[in-house]
Amino acid sequence: MKTRVLLLCALSAAVIAASPWLGRSLEGDSGRFILENLRIPRVLMAVLVGGTLSLVGACYQTIFANPLAAPSTVGTTAGATLGALVAVVAAPALGISLANGLPMIAALAFIGALLVSLAIAAIASRGKARVNDILLAGIAISLAAGAISTGLQFSADQVQLYAAIQWTLGHLPQVGYRGLVMILPFMAICWGVLLSQTRALQTLLGGEERAHSQGVNVPWLRSLVLGVGALGVGACVAWCGPIAFIGLIVPHMVRMGVGASRRVMLPMSVVLGAGFLAACDTVARLIVPGRELPVGVVTSAIGAPLLVWLVVRQGSGRGTHKSS
Amino acid sequence: MTNLELANVSVRARGKALLQDVSLRVNQGEFVALLGPNGAGKTTLLRAALGLLPATGDVLLDGQPVREMPGRERAAKLAWLPQQSAAAEPLSVLEQVTAARYRFHETHHAAEAGALAALNAAGAAQFAERYVNELSGGEAQRVAVAGMIAQETPLLLLDEPANHLDPAQQIELYRLVARLWREGRGVLCITHDVNMLRFVGDAAVRVVGMAEGRVRFECAYGAPELADHVSGLFNVGIEIVQAGADRLLVPSGRPA
Repeated sequence: MKTRVLLLCALSAAVIAASPWLGRSLEGDSGRFILENLRIPRVLMAVLVGGTLSLVGACYQTIFANPLAAPSTVGTTAGATLGALVAVVAAPALGISLANGLPMIAALAFIGALLVSLAIAAIASRGKARVNDILLAGIAISLAAGAISTGLQFSADQVQLYAAIQWTLGHLPQVGYRGLVMILPFMAICWGVLLSQTRALQTLLGGEERAHSQGVNVPWLRSLVLGVGALGVGACVAWCGPIAFIGLIVPHMVRMGVGASRRVMLPMSVVLGAGFLAACDTVARLIVPGRELPVGVVTSAIGAPLLVWLVVRQGSGRGTHKSS
Repeated sequence: MTNLELANVSVRARGKALLQDVSLRVNQGEFVALLGPNGAGKTTLLRAALGLLPATGDVLLDGQPVREMPGRERAAKLAWLPQQSAAAEPLSVLEQVTAARYRFHETHHAAEAGALAALNAAGAAQFAERYVNELSGGEAQRVAVAGMIAQETPLLLLDEPANHLDPAQQIELYRLVARLWREGRGVLCITHDVNMLRFVGDAAVRVVGMAEGRVRFECAYGAPELADHVSGLFNVGIEIVQAGADRLLVPSGRPA
């Protein structure tokens, strides 16, 4: 297994290191400016966002004992999207241009993600709630938030609608180093807290009641993961919009590659998630000459068939990792 | 000496009484067998003892209410072997038993060493590198017992540990549990088959009979009145058959 871990780390590092150099020629001062001030911070943003979404997805799948649990299925992403769309529609009414409205969009996206996650965490912290109840509550909240979001888009004018659609497709913006510094504390808290819970999450794999008997405070663990997950995902969505499939698909890929032990799987989800989003963003930059695709389109285009393939592969009994 | 005490404990769910005014005490060093028909409330009693269910009355571990104890403190005194062990994800046996040592604040290296010692004690060290979802029923149960041993608690709760095992595996498992008891642990063990207690090998084992959420009798395994109690508990005639040194209680098929 050590070989596989090293290979995946090397692959991810190679993708991340190569990404800024791929694309239009970087000769001269302008090339150097593009590399240092646009592409490198953008790849670093992909590392932070990809790593966070994957780690949160892996933790959600553990606390819900469900391979379909992810920020997008427990409502975190939908809450953030709704918050951002409220900002997109409300900004012109408040006399704020959309170009200057980014802080407002970010703040409301974050609040939306946090409110939904707190609601789910409140349900989870009631000891009586079963895992599937919580997941169903998340799906219901996602559907409700999606319906309200559609209603908001319907009532928006053309400019607002374009901004809303562009935002909801998910993209890695040109935020520069200032943006990175702003998002970094959220990610640091998210990574630090979630990775510190590895032992409890590993014990939870034996079943909720068994973990309780072995000393894990399951309702508290679930609330902590949901709360901290909201912090990380809310920050990602606020800056980049809802980037689909990363939190769902990357943990599956890691599990197949290095096994289900959370001791390895959680840090490797960060590593592979970072590399995966950096690769997807590079594809999004390069695939259509002269313009960029939103990275969410690329992650969906790769993630959806990959997920179907993984499900079919696991269903046929070949998804179980064997040690090498 | 650690002890578990249930005093006038009642549990209700959806308007139905699952436990009614049950009192029971298990001290470290004692072996208590919990006997009763399906739906008697035996598993509910164990779950209440673990603090998994809200209950009226007192569930005390060394005098402390079990539901108010911090998880790690409770897990230092009480380990549980459920009827079915979940193996939703393919962890190795060593990883699973290592995870059972969550209550200890220790390095991963120390946790693995403790898990290996527990696997050795359970006679399951040869499975360490195998995946939990690839084990047979008997092997999986041995690994589950290793998880309990790894927790290093003075009290063990076992819920029908020999369920779904073949006769040879049942005997092997009861002998293993008996060994853990003789090493000084207290054991509260649910069983359907009172005759398996002969493999614990001590007439002083306490048998507690339960039906319809209540304790119906309590006596020593070697007591002559046990046959009548078991007959009344299961509402079936019981014949006493002497097989060598063992006394077997065999259902006769006639009403009690």
